Amino acid sequence: MKPVGRAGLLRAGIFFLLLALIPVLGAPGWLLTTLIFTVMYAGLASSWNLVGGYAGYPSLGHVAFFGIGAYAIGLVFTNSVGSGFEPFLLLPVIGVAVGLLSIPVGWIAMRTRADVFAIVTITLLFITQTLAFNLKDLTGGAQGKSVAPPPFPVETFDWPFYYAMVVMLAIAMAISLYFRRSKIGLSLATVRADEDKAHGIGVRVTAVKLLAFAVSCGLVAMIGGVWAYYVGFIYPQFAVDPLITIGMVLMAFLGGRGTLWGPVLGAFILVPAQEYFAQTFGASELYLLAYAAVFIVIMLFLPRGILPSVSERLARRRLAARGPGESPGTDAARPVDPAVRMEAAR
Amino acid sequence: MHALIQAIILGILTGGVYALMASGQTLIFGIMKIVNLAQGALVVLGAYLTYTLFTTFGLDPFLSIVITTPLLFLVGVVVQRVLIRPLRGSDVAELSLLVTFAVALAIEGALSFAYGSTLTNVQPAYANSSWTVLGFQVSVVRFVAFVLSLVLLAALYFILQRTKFGRSVRATVQNPASAELLGVNASRVSAIGFGLGAATAAAAGSVFGMLNAFNPGSHYDLISRLLTVVVLGGLGSIGGSVIAALVMGVASSIVSAEAAPIWGDFTFFVVLLLVLLLRPRGLFGARVRGAL
Amino acid sequence: MQLRFGRGRRARFGAAAAITIGALALSACSSGGGGGGGSSSGTKTPLKIGISLSLTGDFSDSGKAAQRGYELWQSVANKAGGVLGRKVQLSIVDDASNPDQVVTNYTNLITQQKVDLVFGPYSSLLTVPASRVASRYHYSFIEPAGGGPSVFAQKLTNLFFVQPAATTKGGDVFANYILSLPASQRPKTAAYAKLDDPFSAPIADNIRKRFEAAGIKTVYDQTYPSETADMTPIISGIAAKNPDVVVGGSQEGDAFAQIKAMIQLKFDPKYLFESNGANSPGDFPAAVGLPNTNGVFSSADWYADSTIAGSKQFIADYIAKYGGTANKIDPTSAEAYSAGMLLQEVAKKTGKVDNATIISTLHSGTWPTLVGNLKWNQYGEPQGDYVLVQWIDGKLQTVFPANGAQHTPLAPKPAWAG
Repeated sequence: MKPVGRAGLLRAGIFFLLLALIPVLGAPGWLLTTLIFTVMYAGLASSWNLVGGYAGYPSLGHVAFFGIGAYAIGLVFTNSVGSGFEPFLLLPVIGVAVGLLSIPVGWIAMRTRADVFAIVTITLLFITQTLAFNLKDLTGGAQGKSVAPPPFPVETFDWPFYYAMVVMLAIAMAISLYFRRSKIGLSLATVRADEDKAHGIGVRVTAVKLLAFAVSCGLVAMIGGVWAYYVGFIYPQFAVDPLITIGMVLMAFLGGRGTLWGPVLGAFILVPAQEYFAQTFGASELYLLAYAAVFIVIMLFLPRGILPSVSERLARRRLAARGPGESPGTDAARPVDPAVRMEAAR
Repeated sequence: MHALIQAIILGILTGGVYALMASGQTLIFGIMKIVNLAQGALVVLGAYLTYTLFTTFGLDPFLSIVITTPLLFLVGVVVQRVLIRPLRGSDVAELSLLVTFAVALAIEGALSFAYGSTLTNVQPAYANSSWTVLGFQVSVVRFVAFVLSLVLLAALYFILQRTKFGRSVRATVQNPASAELLGVNASRVSAIGFGLGAATAAAAGSVFGMLNAFNPGSHYDLISRLLTVVVLGGLGSIGGSVIAALVMGVASSIVSAEAAPIWGDFTFFVVLLLVLLLRPRGLFGARVRGAL
Repeated sequence: MQLRFGRGRRARFGAAAAITIGALALSACSSGGGGGGGSSSGTKTPLKIGISLSLTGDFSDSGKAAQRGYELWQSVANKAGGVLGRKVQLSIVDDASNPDQVVTNYTNLITQQKVDLVFGPYSSLLTVPASRVASRYHYSFIEPAGGGPSVFAQKLTNLFFVQPAATTKGGDVFANYILSLPASQRPKTAAYAKLDDPFSAPIADNIRKRFEAAGIKTVYDQTYPSETADMTPIISGIAAKNPDVVVGGSQEGDAFAQIKAMIQLKFDPKYLFESNGANSPGDFPAAVGLPNTNGVFSSADWYADSTIAGSKQFIADYIAKYGGTANKIDPTSAEAYSAGMLLQEVAKKTGKVDNATIISTLHSGTWPTLVGNLKWNQYGEPQGDYVLVQWIDGKLQTVFPANGAQHTPLAPKPAWAG
């Protein structure tokens, strides 16, 4: 495995420094609220990418764990949040607990592949939602569950939530990075490419894909916890909302599955684009058509997502510019993604 | 006991209509190995077409099938030609999932634009009438819908078993590469297969519009049911999906009537998970693989 | 008191597209209204009111009905010279029924567009997060469509629900009527079919508590999920018990489906109450057939034949602006319009329209609106009653309480026309 270049780390450093500085530089409330949700989706898409991108298991049920994380916060902090920071301290516990919980679930679901796996995970979503509706004593059912409002001053009310989301995104990306640089990434790439063959050559297929699934679900649950605390009220149809799943999947697809920056890029593009359509076509419902059109264009013309397509094109151009005889592998600064390499090798 | 039997009757009648919808989806999966997330939207589109034909021209909803099925057949062919066929690469299964979802969104958007989001339904004079058979109520519409579904399923079976096209389809399902070698035009088979799948959605939609209130967003409900039916039946087995649809109809109906409606669909999802735990390929997946 | 929120669950793949992501960035594009408006030149600055509504997605019809109500009030108010001489300017943004978007929208309206006031969105589920934002910034929150228990459980003192009573009390008037019957006519057994959402099931539960206390036996009591399209299994369960009275804690589509199933199963209860759906003058007969409406009870705050002062004028203005017929006007429009009326009343009484004044003023006294005379407890829960309406001779008529009734109640319910 090639170490990720210094340029890559630098890029990440600048990105997170910028994110961290935004509130301090006096961003108004509306901008922070917007950014909270943008960074939330970037974090969700990055977490989804661990299993959906690197392992090639397109889960459509991740929002089930988002909901479990949300309800965990709701259950513990219905009446009081103390100084306001206690819910954040609970997050690691939620992450680990949900990660462990997801292992048996993943073990059942991952006996199936690709599209059947997608459908099975949808089922998981509906089961979780039904339970959230029906276990009224625990979840409040359709009446919802409230989280006590935090005692933060109005001027900096959004800051803790914003930083929590940024930290979640950073963790998700750091784990992505770690996966790619370690043997895990390589194993996942072989699972994605040909699971049976990977098994045949001695890759510990089940262990490695369950690890990816558990880490991914744990992260999503933690983000769900922050979300619940921020929104302040949990209804089953919003906490276990299929559209959150669709959101993460779509962003990862747009930016590029199995890449470090793809899901982030997808979130930071799709959100404003979506907003633009909602604004331009307003209440006319035409936005659905416009949205579907964008969707289809991506699938038909950028089926692997923006980053892989662009970097491949760049590599090809560079290759052409240097003339024959030189191999692109000498370019050490260019981050090479194992999954992209797998694809290119096919 | 009376209520139980009544629930079973209802479940079978409802399951028959789902069987029709699911058979189209299974056909599409069998031929192309793609999961068509737009099947529910096509059903709703069929329901709205029927609604328009009924309210503006007074055409009987059952008769309107003669018009809606060819129309949706064409829609299906166009979708396959324009959107599915160009997909390339190793991820076709995942990509087609998203593309068909986009098609569903587009249909939903167009219908919302044309009809708004108010729930509506097709209300012919006989919509609420029922027969009393041995003390049990049998809704006329449900019964006719059930019979119609059986007839159409039989027609589909006939097409697949007895026509040249059907033989091409079955050859493609079993082994696309060798079918091609034997002179089967796989691209044509795929297009017609997708068209047929959409046509069953149209027929089911006409019926669905009489049985339920619907709006452009109704397809999400439908597709979640259809997916579980298709997976339970073993992706690609039409017979399996028919049985799975009946099982779903009866199970939901009994649990709703005898236990609690809020657990009706839940039961079915749990059954699906249990079946997958034991047989990852679904009830009939492995045994009659490739037999449709 | 239409609070359809509806299908909610898996159906919500629906808005998927809309918002998938859309939770965001509304701000960037919608800022058209411009920020400050501070400088006071010769003319008075307009009164800017920010509102987020569900204009897209499954419930866009109700959201748009609210929009029509708000905008009708705006044009009527401006024709009369505005509020305290200030032209009313509405800034309406779309939330596609998504709570994240609602939070973003109200934060944006308050901190970026710096609107003077905000009005509420559509439905309790969105009103809760929205009212928290408004309360954080000390804005008053007059809202026409969020009347579930979760709204009042927040104990916010800036909130005012513009309907006669908490939504969950929508059936109390039916209980009042049944319990007012002489013992010989009173039903002995009752069945409850309840939609599992924050407002519908509690309506039926409140009726059930009253009935059980009065000795009316519960023979069937079930909740069904919001995506239930087919009511036949539930109704066949009820029919097997043959109760005297059936109470549907319903929204819209499910109420229609319940009644269609009863017709098909040839099941005729003596009394039938649907908390919602059956109070829709246009959609209900279209869905079940006009002859089948006869004798069905529901409750309402405003409907086309309402005798409340100002209602006729509202209908005339509405038809002049949007066309159509009185029967096609969604009560949500009247409720939204009433929110504006309240504001004008406060302005008239105090000569001010700042948030603190609105909050303190509305907390005392009784305020006339299209949906009745309103007064609230400290957490914004209205202290009035809905009226009992019934379909008689193909028309929706007030039948209870007796003062204000247009007709005596029709009981027992005539058999289905089929």
